[in-house]
Amino acid sequence: MLRCEAVGKRYGGGPWVLSDVDMEVAAGDVLAVVGGNGSGKSTLLRILAGLSHPTTGSVSGRPPRIGYVPDRFTVHDRISAISYLTHMGRIRGLSASAARARGHHLLERLSLVGGRNAPLRTLSKGNAQKVALAQALLVQPDLLVLDEPWSGLDASAHGVLAEFIDEVAARGGAVVFTDHREAVTETHARGAYAISDGRVTPHGGRRAGSRPATAELVLTVPPTGVTPVEVDWSVLPGVTDTARRGGEVVLRVAREHSDAVLLTALRHRWSVASLARVADERVLRGDARGTTR
Amino acid sequence: MIALVGYMFTVLLLSQRYLAPLLLFLGLVAVLTGSDTGPLTATYASVAGAMLPCSVWLTMALVGLEDRTHRSVVVVSAGGPLRVLLATVGTAAVWCLLLTAAGLVLPLLSGTRAPGLADLALGTAAQLTCAFTGTAVGLVCSRLVFRRQGHALVLALVLLLAVLLGKGVSPVNILLTHLQDAPDPADALAPTGALLAAAAGLLAAAVAVTQAITRRRA
Repeated sequence: MLRCEAVGKRYGGGPWVLSDVDMEVAAGDVLAVVGGNGSGKSTLLRILAGLSHPTTGSVSGRPPRIGYVPDRFTVHDRISAISYLTHMGRIRGLSASAARARGHHLLERLSLVGGRNAPLRTLSKGNAQKVALAQALLVQPDLLVLDEPWSGLDASAHGVLAEFIDEVAARGGAVVFTDHREAVTETHARGAYAISDGRVTPHGGRRAGSRPATAELVLTVPPTGVTPVEVDWSVLPGVTDTARRGGEVVLRVAREHSDAVLLTALRHRWSVASLARVADERVLRGDARGTTR
Repeated sequence: MIALVGYMFTVLLLSQRYLAPLLLFLGLVAVLTGSDTGPLTATYASVAGAMLPCSVWLTMALVGLEDRTHRSVVVVSAGGPLRVLLATVGTAAVWCLLLTAAGLVLPLLSGTRAPGLADLALGTAAQLTCAFTGTAVGLVCSRLVFRRQGHALVLALVLLLAVLLGKGVSPVNILLTHLQDAPDPADALAPTGALLAAAAGLLAAAVAVTQAITRRRA
């Protein structure tokens, strides 16, 4: 869908913010752009959204309906949240009543605190961020561009945001977002780009199917004291690595075989201490996010 | 486009930043025409002169209302910066039309002068000529072109003086000198219409310049 070829960007005669960026965003993609503060993430997103023109290179295939959520949504307007959303919906071609209904629906889901009829400028940072998110979703976007969308949102809104991202992707839209925390990007994105020194490189993303995912299974002796049956784990299909740590057995299993190995372990009266997804070959026990089942 | 104009109109209305230029306009009209009993042509020339600084101020206030991120959201929603810029001009035009209506009626309240159709047409054309020129100046001096509002304000004052005093070049100057000694409104209508077209051309040029600079900077 959207394609960046050799995109470079500098402001005036300043230093190059981005150089030689090649990026492709396909329908249904959820891509993260990871980088430190001031690394050019926002500039890249502004180019993707069509707000900024690349100094060199070209961007092609930008879809017509784009939702853009800026990183800071500071508003000094006296206009109320729902009235703002109604206006934005009308600008996007909805009727006034449809825009108002959609605005109410989105604010309901995001549970805006502070009143839909309160002026925008009285809203807190998090609540203003919710309004910013809602305006981007008034019509189902073909491309949703989110600049650090998690910052400022409360925990319940995090879940709603993840739902929104999944919904857009499920309807064939593409989502590109930035965050500086890799944990967040790995949870939500199906692909990732790292950005540093103006260069953008594909980065450890778990693009579906492109890399065999691995699960790390930790088995222990059950706390009830039953002695489990010893199994030669390394001969089971999908097991790539085995190790013993104290009384624990640690297994690396290909994701498609992890259920079978788990079943075998339970049948042999082993107790499951943890089951985690491992992003790459390095041992990531400390920060791996558990998907215990 | 109508939705965009509606949105910008509402935002300016709620911000109350229109108040100062509006009061300036009403004050100028009252002072310039309050004791005026001469021909309406000259009166409407004064009103048109009052329109000039007010339209500059209104345009600059309108553009200055929204910061960069906020404008970005509107640009993405509207589907391009040019549409937003044109809507800005449209909104300024709507406000100037409201001022024009006031400028047509107010001078009639104080006297016993009965306006003819030609008088009203001439008054409208004269005020719109100044409004278009003022909007053009306001756009070029707006936050879209100048980050520093101090510089923009100085340039706005210089440009205002230039269009007021630029003999034979500025449509505003030609209009004002021409109307001061034009006895018959019907005769003055055609040259005023030409000046209105020239002012519209000036406005189009200002839009093009602003769009080019915004695009380069973005």
